[in-house]
Amino acid sequence: MTQSTPNPILSIDSLSKLYPGCEHPAVDGLSVAVERGSIFGLLGPNGAGKTTTISILCTLLRPTSGAVTVLGHDVVRQADVVRRGIGLVPQEIALYPSLTARENLRYFARVLKLPKQKIEQRLNECLDLVGLLDCADQRIETYSGGMKRRANLAVGVLHKPEILFLDEPTVGIDAQSRNLILERLAELNRAGMTLVYTTHYMEEAQQLCDEIAIIDTGRVIARGAPTQLVADAADCENLEDLFLALTGKQLRD
Amino acid sequence: MLLLAHIKKELLLLSRDRGGLLVLFVMPMLLVLVLSLIQDDVFRATGETTTRALFVNLDQGALGAEFAAKIKDSGAIELVAAVAGESLDSELAREKVLTGDYQFAIVVPEQFSAEINAAAESSVRAALRNEEATPASSRLQLYFDPTVRGVYRSAVNNALQRGLLGLEISRKSELFGRLLQEELQKNIDTQFGGYGGDAGSGLLPELSSDWGEQSLIELQEESASPEKYATLPTSVQQNVPAWTLFGMFFIVIPLAGTLIRERQEGTLTRLMTMPISSSSLLLGKVFAYVVVCLVQFGLMLLVGRFILPLLGTPVLELGTAPVALLVVAVSAALAACGYGILVGVLARSYDQASTFGSVSVVIAAALGGVMVPVYVMPRAMQDLSVISPLSWGLDAFLDIFVRDGNLTTVLPYIAALLGFFLLCSFVAALVFRRFRRGV
Repeated sequence: MTQSTPNPILSIDSLSKLYPGCEHPAVDGLSVAVERGSIFGLLGPNGAGKTTTISILCTLLRPTSGAVTVLGHDVVRQADVVRRGIGLVPQEIALYPSLTARENLRYFARVLKLPKQKIEQRLNECLDLVGLLDCADQRIETYSGGMKRRANLAVGVLHKPEILFLDEPTVGIDAQSRNLILERLAELNRAGMTLVYTTHYMEEAQQLCDEIAIIDTGRVIARGAPTQLVADAADCENLEDLFLALTGKQLRD
Repeated sequence: MLLLAHIKKELLLLSRDRGGLLVLFVMPMLLVLVLSLIQDDVFRATGETTTRALFVNLDQGALGAEFAAKIKDSGAIELVAAVAGESLDSELAREKVLTGDYQFAIVVPEQFSAEINAAAESSVRAALRNEEATPASSRLQLYFDPTVRGVYRSAVNNALQRGLLGLEISRKSELFGRLLQEELQKNIDTQFGGYGGDAGSGLLPELSSDWGEQSLIELQEESASPEKYATLPTSVQQNVPAWTLFGMFFIVIPLAGTLIRERQEGTLTRLMTMPISSSSLLLGKVFAYVVVCLVQFGLMLLVGRFILPLLGTPVLELGTAPVALLVVAVSAALAACGYGILVGVLARSYDQASTFGSVSVVIAAALGGVMVPVYVMPRAMQDLSVISPLSWGLDAFLDIFVRDGNLTTVLPYIAALLGFFLLCSFVAALVFRRFRRGV
């Protein structure tokens, strides 16, 4: 699969992850490459291995086997170098609830070693990007779900990472916030940022992603441009139909 | 600079948590205040101060007052003859003991002098005649509060027995001088009829009665381990640093809690994907909480110095080595925070951290002499106490407060506390790095 991507920013080759004490691997021989400057969607039902894959790509987990390079660096042996070029928008609202949005961003900006004289300017840019500039001095705990998600995104892009990993960034929020987040993601991508994105919302993936991989039980079961995949599948009108056709209708918990 | 960012963030988070601040600063101050006052009584009971007892002297002679003077001279019991300007009788004294206002009351009966004199004369005369004496002894009434501990009661009993014995010996010595002359004259009269005249009066020199009270053997009291317990602390000198250390080590729970909360909220996951070292993250927490510990320490010294004396305890004397005091406080704070980080890294949940953290600190405090001073512990426990970091801290503080210690004398304790901090931090960093590398 990697041969079809001429300028990969991320390359996964035969990746496997078996958690201690588990019989079946969470990721099982996964191979994917992501083109620089693209938006790549990683889709799959619950337990398919999406979060495990993102965690390995972000240097949070060690793979059991396989090779993973991000920005040309091995995620295990060169984790520190990889960390400098990536951003993460995790599934949880990974912010300090009793601090304001500005205080949160300021702390993470200092951790990310942004130049001191540029920190305030960059904070305002990021807060403006997610529509939180007017309420930047409110504590996170007073925010609505949508505002928290937007603040979560703002921290992820503070240092203008070359590649941004988003683990279900729009889950459980109102339509307006979701729309704003998707617009901003497209904007960031146009500015050159590569996005790797997991979601359960198929219409969102169809709208946003240049390429998707549908994974189940830790393996890639379909990969390509969303419109092409739908066109190639008989009896499927949209991505959701294709997804259900590939992964089945039984419940996944 | 990154370390400063972590410290600033931790302090900001703390400042936003009013309940947490209350727990961190007000609760330890209350702890020091309440426990120092409670334990002040224990110290009084174990001999730090003299015992106070009501004294009712109904004696119509001079021996009641003489007995009181002897007790007073011994320094073991302070006698109170009037309460609020009101002189006491037997019933009132008993009532005061019954209500718990005083633990003891001593009542000297009306015929005390007459009965002792009669009994002493009977006893000495019998001895001189080589007869068996059956003197009618006098009684001294002692009322005591039934809640008073046995050791305390027997100490008072002993002091009174010594006073009575001194009084008896003094009376017997005095009578012996007089009665010996009388008995000698009687024997001369019996043997020589009227020819002896008053020869007996010139045969013996006049006897002094003081010899009976002069002690022949001096009891030399010395601590078995003079280096360690040569001077004992006052209740405040023992309790304030002890409970201050206890409060400082309880920082383990909120400190471990911040790490667990960050793990649960996902902020730690986010931080782990950023180009920062694990040690800067952990040290940022440690240093922020060291600041908290030092503020706690300062507040608790203020309690000991200014608030406790208002409630009747001695003033906390801080010794003459402020630099040594500060270095010990910083070392103890580092030890406490190092342990907190270790608990935070090892615990899987807040419940685990709070239960393990609090129980382990209570055990270390008990071993370290916080609850019961080490010098009153059984020998085996005294030996065991050296493993507790709270014991190192407490010994260092006591050395400075009580034994005029300085930086050189407390250096071993400082080294032990810093060693404990380094060990905890090293293990915590190892575990944390493993966690960061992923399983």
